[in-house]
Amino acid sequence: MKAKIVNKGQLSGLLDKLAKDYDLVAPVKEETITLFKKISSAQDAFLDYTNSDVSPKGCFLPQSEKIFSYTYTGDSLEIVKPESAKKTVLFGARPCDIKAITTLDPVFEGEKFGDEFYSSKRENTVIIGLSCSKVLSTCFCYAFGGGPCDGTGSDLLFTEIGDKYYVEINTDKGQALVDANSQFFSSENTDQLAKDKEELAKKLAGEFVKKVDLTGVKELLDSDFELAYWDEDPYKKCIGCGTCTYVCPTCHCFDIFDFTTGDITGDRIRCWDSCMYPEYTLMAGGHNPRPTRKERIRNRFMHKLKYHLDRYNMVGCVGCGRCIRKCPVNIDITKIINDLKEVAQNA
Amino acid sequence: MMNLTKQIREQAKKLLEEKKVDLVIGFGQGTELARTTPVFIDSPEGVSALTWGPFCANNLAKYLIDYKNAPGNVAVVVKGCDSRSVIRLLDDNQISRDKIVVIGVPCAGQLEWQKVADEIKPDAALKETVDNGDSFVVKTSTGDHTFNKKDYMLHRCLVCENPNPVIADFTIGEELPVKNYAERFAEVEELEQLGLEEKSAYWDKQFSRCLRCYACRNVCSVCTCALCVFDQMKPMWVSKRTNLSENTVFHITRAFHVAGRCVDCGECDRVCPMDIPIRKLNQKIHKDLKDLFDSPTPGSKQGLLSALGEFSLGDPEEFM
Repeated sequence: MKAKIVNKGQLSGLLDKLAKDYDLVAPVKEETITLFKKISSAQDAFLDYTNSDVSPKGCFLPQSEKIFSYTYTGDSLEIVKPESAKKTVLFGARPCDIKAITTLDPVFEGEKFGDEFYSSKRENTVIIGLSCSKVLSTCFCYAFGGGPCDGTGSDLLFTEIGDKYYVEINTDKGQALVDANSQFFSSENTDQLAKDKEELAKKLAGEFVKKVDLTGVKELLDSDFELAYWDEDPYKKCIGCGTCTYVCPTCHCFDIFDFTTGDITGDRIRCWDSCMYPEYTLMAGGHNPRPTRKERIRNRFMHKLKYHLDRYNMVGCVGCGRCIRKCPVNIDITKIINDLKEVAQNA
Repeated sequence: MMNLTKQIREQAKKLLEEKKVDLVIGFGQGTELARTTPVFIDSPEGVSALTWGPFCANNLAKYLIDYKNAPGNVAVVVKGCDSRSVIRLLDDNQISRDKIVVIGVPCAGQLEWQKVADEIKPDAALKETVDNGDSFVVKTSTGDHTFNKKDYMLHRCLVCENPNPVIADFTIGEELPVKNYAERFAEVEELEQLGLEEKSAYWDKQFSRCLRCYACRNVCSVCTCALCVFDQMKPMWVSKRTNLSENTVFHITRAFHVAGRCVDCGECDRVCPMDIPIRKLNQKIHKDLKDLFDSPTPGSKQGLLSALGEFSLGDPEEFM
């Protein structure tokens, strides 16, 4: 694998350059909250974070996105498409969140259904990952094959080691970015830093607190849609908000509607939707196939642990732990997985 | 606090054994050391799942709405602030008194779990919590930690009006004195000092990061509409599009809809994933109601009408 070094002192120069050449999206801190936003200079970036409160999935699937604008002019309808995606660099995303993007890819870039809004952003974006330096008590990426220093899905992966970043070049896109900004990258001593990175990865891998065992869970969910488990605690305590789905890096459900002003002009909007909301599956005739929180909770976890696997052969969870941290009532997907494992064992 | 936990379990067990209730809603140990999670106990054997301590922030009274049409009776564990919700739900005819049993626990304050968790080793196990007046001691498998209330409590607890439940069929433990660690409306007064444009800029910054997950609404014990205006699709009063304008409409509408009924339990603030200081909006209304009508905090007494549901000839009307 090809690798380079960026001295920490050079980073702000690199980011400033990237901000000039691309739309640069990086973690920023707003009061207590870390989220990804377009920045215009290196000093706006906030890299001393464990994991952001909101994932960077909005880079490719924004919470609200204009599909087109329309104006009705009496006898014709004028449609204006939004500007095409700009060249973008997503900098500083954590490995779990990048892995999450790879789980969204088959949804929006499948052979049957291509989504031009997603794929144009995806094609035009270079993803620069940033390895974790700390494991949170809610982290469990290891359970799905990820890791704090895993570069899967990234074009470049930066790993902080002392006063340097060890940079792995994972794709041609990443190589092109390095070539175009070669003044910030050096090649000295990469072998030693590669070893240091291995050490760091090993050290962090031993720090996970959440124990997750998926043995038999998929088979159990395959075998019984009406498991008695879904009648237990989780749905009773769920308050039915959309927090888990909105902070989730792999949740991707959306709704499309027209935002009309004055009856003649408006925007067609696609925006995030949540399977936790009652109106999500509400049909025109008034029927709702998921009438209570029980069915909605079941759907969310079935989607993470079964449906996504069935459709794309990938687990729909990457173990970022945001839903655990943010859930107002402490519904914890790792507990649900372990409970299901136990149900499977006792069946 | 182990003693209180024991007493709560005994009370719950008795109620279930004597078939006074079919269900007890209380706090159980969560999946993180410094968190609890709501638990729903339906058999006397299940009461060992109940716990009590400084990590019981949730207002469980909200769940009474879920069981209002259930056949049996329901017992609920409440703190002082949560008990105001019970009264408000009774006064709003959302629940019937004869179907609920209130287990009140005088509360010495609730800690912000994330702040506490940051200082304890992630793999530590909780042994015990002790209330030491102005601090809590959290004893864990990797050592003891002292947390000053002033620095680690939820803001709502710093200005707590009712450490003791205002309604309870059974009270667990001793009554506690009212302690004010901060001025109740200090934060609102600070905001009031700002000019119009500064105020607007402050709230624009807060509302612009709203995800519209509706956790604040769903956790709110006085949000009881069968169909919420924000979920209505025809007409769509507030668009699902997230932008500053729509987000602002959501927050202002929500604040006014609960005006005069909001019991100031502070749950909206606690659950916001984006740390929007939602409670400050409600607090401004509380302060105005206090200044204008000398209204007590909703839910602090039974039989109070909501400020917007009451008319008195003596009301000031200098704006007319």
